[in-house]
Amino acid sequence: MKLSEVFFPQDVAEILELLRKNPDILLLAGGSAIVGSQASRTISLPEQVASIAKVQELRKTVRTEQFLEMGACTTFTGILSLAPTSLPEPLGSVIKAIGNRGLRNIATIGGNLCCENRFLDLWPFLSCMEAQVEFRSPSGSRWASVGHLCGEDNRPLIPKASILSRVRIPLYNYDFIYYRKLGNSLYPSSDSAMFVCMANIARDKVEDFRLVFSGDKAFRLKDKEMSISGKKTSTPRREIRGFVAEYKKAFEEMGLFDPRPFTALLEDVFGRLFL
Amino acid sequence: MIIDVTVNGVPRHLKSRSGDRLVDMLRKELKLLSLSPDCLQGRCGKCLVFMDGRIVHSCLVPAFKARATTILTFEAIAKNPEVKDIEKAFQITQTQPCPFCRSAKIMAIFDLLSRIPLPGEEDILEALDMVSCPCSDPLGLIQAVKLAAELRNKRKFSREA
Repeated sequence: MKLSEVFFPQDVAEILELLRKNPDILLLAGGSAIVGSQASRTISLPEQVASIAKVQELRKTVRTEQFLEMGACTTFTGILSLAPTSLPEPLGSVIKAIGNRGLRNIATIGGNLCCENRFLDLWPFLSCMEAQVEFRSPSGSRWASVGHLCGEDNRPLIPKASILSRVRIPLYNYDFIYYRKLGNSLYPSSDSAMFVCMANIARDKVEDFRLVFSGDKAFRLKDKEMSISGKKTSTPRREIRGFVAEYKKAFEEMGLFDPRPFTALLEDVFGRLFL
Repeated sequence: MIIDVTVNGVPRHLKSRSGDRLVDMLRKELKLLSLSPDCLQGRCGKCLVFMDGRIVHSCLVPAFKARATTILTFEAIAKNPEVKDIEKAFQITQTQPCPFCRSAKIMAIFDLLSRIPLPGEEDILEALDMVSCPCSDPLGLIQAVKLAAELRNKRKFSREA
């Protein structure tokens, strides 16, 4: 069995020092995604691991009028324990559908967003909400949209030699929120995916339309979203069928693994959004 | 490496390798045989422990993460009067979980009742979702948990009165 060197940094400065010395060190918060995806009795870990779950700076929650900001090591149970007025309503429902209570007690928001193999449940939802993430590295810190955690090949793109330290979720209400989780596995498998659509409706028009479908890969078409935003809710059925067909075609071209459930969801979401 | 951890109220210095799971360290070093590394995915619930007061699947936790934490296993919880209420409720409602998942179900119900003294059906199902053994009828279990809550509250309130 290959042994790993385990570090227990006390603060972010120590984590950054570890990253400077070894950019490939594994930062492990809850560890549920890494440990749970391994079938062997012994967990396979890289040469160096830093256990960061107890770093207080990464567990703070701040709420202002505009946004909810959480440290990356905030557990799902920690998020669900926030006052209902602090938590965007559908976010609580999405988190409650992740695993079971035992898992939610250890899994963290940062770990969910930093999974390198696939997109987990929160990414599509936070991407639609235009949430921001802060990355800190030995050379400085920067904020980026959650959408930037998706590479050009539509697969997760997690910046190297840096730590996701904070997640900032805008507290902006949407009139229309639709999400479906596909697959029943506690852990994501090849058949699991998330479909999320959000929009506002003002003066009988659809505004701020966003639609994300993610599993192994993520699919979002910002130009299509722009073309749908501004359409009347009474848009004729024929035109709506056109949106569905365009989305289906574009996503198939991008390499969607199985278009069947996706088509049904598209028809359902457009059927509900447009009267 | 040596992990300093308090298990069932006793400070311990346990030997572990970096790739060990918490469940394996507790079984190997302390012979806590109520724990079983079965599914290794946090489904079966046979490795449930309380870590710093929160119920977790110890198969999903690397052993080194237990450093400077407080762990409670079924061996310690079993002495609690709340567990007697749960066992009595199992008896009265004739809902006997199988020997493989009995301690896990008690742990899950114990956690639920310590958070929610009068749980609804949804809360009960959410708690039992941590133990995926299909041995007992879910309706019977719901009835048993409700009765356990009643017994617990009656015992607590009569003592306070």
